[in-house]
Amino acid sequence: MSDLKFIGQNMRRKDGPDKVSGKAVYSQDVKLPGMLVGRVLRSPHPHARILRIDTAKARALPGVKAIITHADTIGVRHGFVETPRYPADQDVLAKDKVAHVGEEIAAVAAIDEITAQKALELIEVEYEILPAVFDAEEAMQPGAPEIRAKHPKVLENLANIAGKTETEWGDVEAGFAEADYVREDRFENQLRTHGYLEPQVTLAHWESDKLNVWTSSMGTFIKRAKLSRTLGLPYSQVRIHKTYVGGTFGGKIDLYSHEYCAARLSMLTGRPVRITANRDEIFSAYRHSQTLTIELKTGVRKDGTILAQRVRIINNAGAHRGSGVVVIFLAWGFIMGPYRIPNLKYEGYAVYTNHTTRAPQRGHGAPKVRFAIESQLDMIADHLGIDPVTIRLRNARGPWEELPNKDNTHEAGLLDCIKEVAAKSDYLNKWRHGRQQPDPTSTIRRGIGMGVTTYMSGTLIYPNGSGVIVKLNDDGSVIVLTGALDVGQGAETVITQIVAEELSIGMDDIKLIASDTDTTPQDIGAWISGMTYVTGNATRQAASNAREKILKVASQEMGVPVEYLGVENKSVFNVADSQQRMTYAQVFSASVAKHRGDTIVGEGFWRTMRDEPTHPSLATTKGRWTENYAFSAQVAEVEVDIETGEARLVKAYTLHDCGFPVNPGLIKGQVDGQVSMALGQAFMEEVMTKKGYTLNPTWLDYRMPLIHNMAASEDAEVITEQYRVGKPYRTKEVGEGLVSGVLAGIANAIYDATGVRMTSAPFTPEKILAGLRKLEREKAKELVSQ
Amino acid sequence: MLDSPEKTTSSVLRARPKPRLVTLSINGEPHEVVVRPHIMLLEVIRDHVGLTGTKDGCESGTCGACTVLLDGKPVLACITLAVECDGMNVQTIEGLSEGGQLSDLQEAFLDQAATQCGFCTPGVIMSSKALLDSNPKPTVPEIKKALEGNLCRCTGYNSIVDAILQYSGQGVKPLMRKDGAP
Repeated sequence: MSDLKFIGQNMRRKDGPDKVSGKAVYSQDVKLPGMLVGRVLRSPHPHARILRIDTAKARALPGVKAIITHADTIGVRHGFVETPRYPADQDVLAKDKVAHVGEEIAAVAAIDEITAQKALELIEVEYEILPAVFDAEEAMQPGAPEIRAKHPKVLENLANIAGKTETEWGDVEAGFAEADYVREDRFENQLRTHGYLEPQVTLAHWESDKLNVWTSSMGTFIKRAKLSRTLGLPYSQVRIHKTYVGGTFGGKIDLYSHEYCAARLSMLTGRPVRITANRDEIFSAYRHSQTLTIELKTGVRKDGTILAQRVRIINNAGAHRGSGVVVIFLAWGFIMGPYRIPNLKYEGYAVYTNHTTRAPQRGHGAPKVRFAIESQLDMIADHLGIDPVTIRLRNARGPWEELPNKDNTHEAGLLDCIKEVAAKSDYLNKWRHGRQQPDPTSTIRRGIGMGVTTYMSGTLIYPNGSGVIVKLNDDGSVIVLTGALDVGQGAETVITQIVAEELSIGMDDIKLIASDTDTTPQDIGAWISGMTYVTGNATRQAASNAREKILKVASQEMGVPVEYLGVENKSVFNVADSQQRMTYAQVFSASVAKHRGDTIVGEGFWRTMRDEPTHPSLATTKGRWTENYAFSAQVAEVEVDIETGEARLVKAYTLHDCGFPVNPGLIKGQVDGQVSMALGQAFMEEVMTKKGYTLNPTWLDYRMPLIHNMAASEDAEVITEQYRVGKPYRTKEVGEGLVSGVLAGIANAIYDATGVRMTSAPFTPEKILAGLRKLEREKAKELVSQ
Repeated sequence: MLDSPEKTTSSVLRARPKPRLVTLSINGEPHEVVVRPHIMLLEVIRDHVGLTGTKDGCESGTCGACTVLLDGKPVLACITLAVECDGMNVQTIEGLSEGGQLSDLQEAFLDQAATQCGFCTPGVIMSSKALLDSNPKPTVPEIKKALEGNLCRCTGYNSIVDAILQYSGQGVKPLMRKDGAP
């Protein structure tokens, strides 16, 4: 990589200067003349039939410009998944009933916030309260209150099944029969929110038969598709503008009701309408993560080799399918990715309950799945007297393995990740040290734990592919048109680095026009971990295409064959005589003069798994999932105070196979951020609910990591791929998969420090103390019996 | 100019207390605004004066994204009444790069990649500035104390601490590099 000048370098963020100076424009910063304020009326009940809505009094209030209910919609539903098996099940405004607290019933546009709020209070809604159910396993029982009809293809006698994923290979019972040791465990996970700092906010303006929208999102093209369909407008009549986005982490992907409402209200009033969700609404009514309950049975040989695994996952999906039917598919992928499992039986259920609808969250189920599997693997290793590193190396997948779904691990660097993270953290010397030789003068116990994971790097979900256009300017500088959206991950920086490398032009000479659905090509969006691979390759191709055109013109002008030409510093030169050169500006003029006005525009397109027609089956897992698996091994070092039960992450070590690092400095930022999210998930964060009502809807009560909770974080890459100018490349994801290993590592480190096994997250002082007391009681019993 | 759009509950609408004239210096520029007494400084800065660099994350003083300096001290603009700021000096993020030139503190944030989504960044930088103005070489515990009210969900805070250490000349080298012609 030594000849690369931009790729593989810690280039500063392209969007950095705007972000540190307050100039970066977010959706909440866009203001238009005559703007109205929108507010949404939400259900006060977890489950109720709507008998009557009367908006007359509200409409009569001076300053109220429009009110909408379901009757004002075209009745088109939407959903995170919209397939024949899983048709859309969400109304943009509740039709006949509400199924969670905060479900949207009506929306108002008024001249100011006070009037809008007053109008909401004047809307009369008559409800018939229905019995509600909140626990997924209760909701599954026959006879439970029916939230929605059970999925017709699930034949078991169960209620409220939103969807099911089922797959198996080998013979799982034969595997268990052959095993020397079999154990079954159950793991539970809390409800956790994304915690994006920027609230959800949408400004919509219907003007000259065109809907202009500024909204906080994770991809403008998917927002356009969903808004167009629910509004009954052609795509060309909807334009989603670019704004910077103040954090997403999975929580701003598909359509939200307030986005529809702002748009519809603007269409009715002809004025711009802005709807901002306040923090309480986000905590109480918006989509959080998935709370997976994982039942895990594993059989191994004496040497720790996994022979069979049976996994049953129950997902509390909330009031709609949301991404609840996706996470039960993905969970399978996160199970089968890192370790060889010759015999597997997997069942995942998504269950309707009267909780809020769910969204993906950074890692989309992987942290919960890996927490379960990595914890149980350590329990197995402990029983067999094998160390945690050896048992992982014994089962980890190597390069070029074909997976049961016909995916391939390619140049998988997992074995190196495990070995190197163990070496870097001095794992085996620290392991068991805290428990076996505790400092008798201190109540602090130190422990170390490991977690391994794999993650997809792009898959086929609408809009499936990315396009990029690279335009040369008269002066030799460049404009890039990309649909990619920078949500903080560094999309704009990485795209600029690639163009800079391919065209040998400074990053300051490249300007981006991004994520505007009218002017930029379609893009996969910032939510399937494929940006650097898919949009990045489209960018490389577009820049290469521009470079070929530049070289062709220069070749004609200079009388030198293309293969003898090189590019450097915005100019083309003769390799044999470097004095002979043309600047890009001169090439541009020559091209316009002699090539029918061609201004040198390069195009590039990329789609992952181009031979696959569509995404794999959510029901059976059949079909390719991804062509790039990222692998990682992570180690957590924790301190536990055995007097208070308080635990903290001291240091995290991350070794990841990301293919090759386009910008190691930005990758470090992704790693550190995921370490922080993992420690929040491990120790602090939980949306507490009672009968569907959120009990802690503020950041004072929902504890997110503060600077005091910061943990040291060290990371390194296992490089398995290379970048060469003009050639396709592979990169693997690095923005989502690295929560998992830290969460699992923390659970294992708590055990290493104290002997207390965590089977439900978060790992609170209460749970740790209860575990310590149980150990003491067992020890006392042993002494008595001796 | 009247205070619109207003952001309070309907009880205030009924009461409608009389507006007051508030004089402020914002980044050295004199501003006169007419506000009702319940209006917060954040609304004045963002909506009346139009400086949108200061962010609105929670409207309840829990996230720190709206941190500005009031007579040099960091305050949460979303829970500071505008009428209480009469005659005072307000500094916002825009004031740090007058004339388009980034300050060394802002440069240090770029050097350490201490901004990702960027939404918390203006507040974090203002809290950092308040600390550094009174304590030019803060220790790590002092940095943590000064920034304990600023939530950042992206960075894990490590790069933010490094940016302050780099700026204050405490042995941290830039991680990222500036563009240069190849």
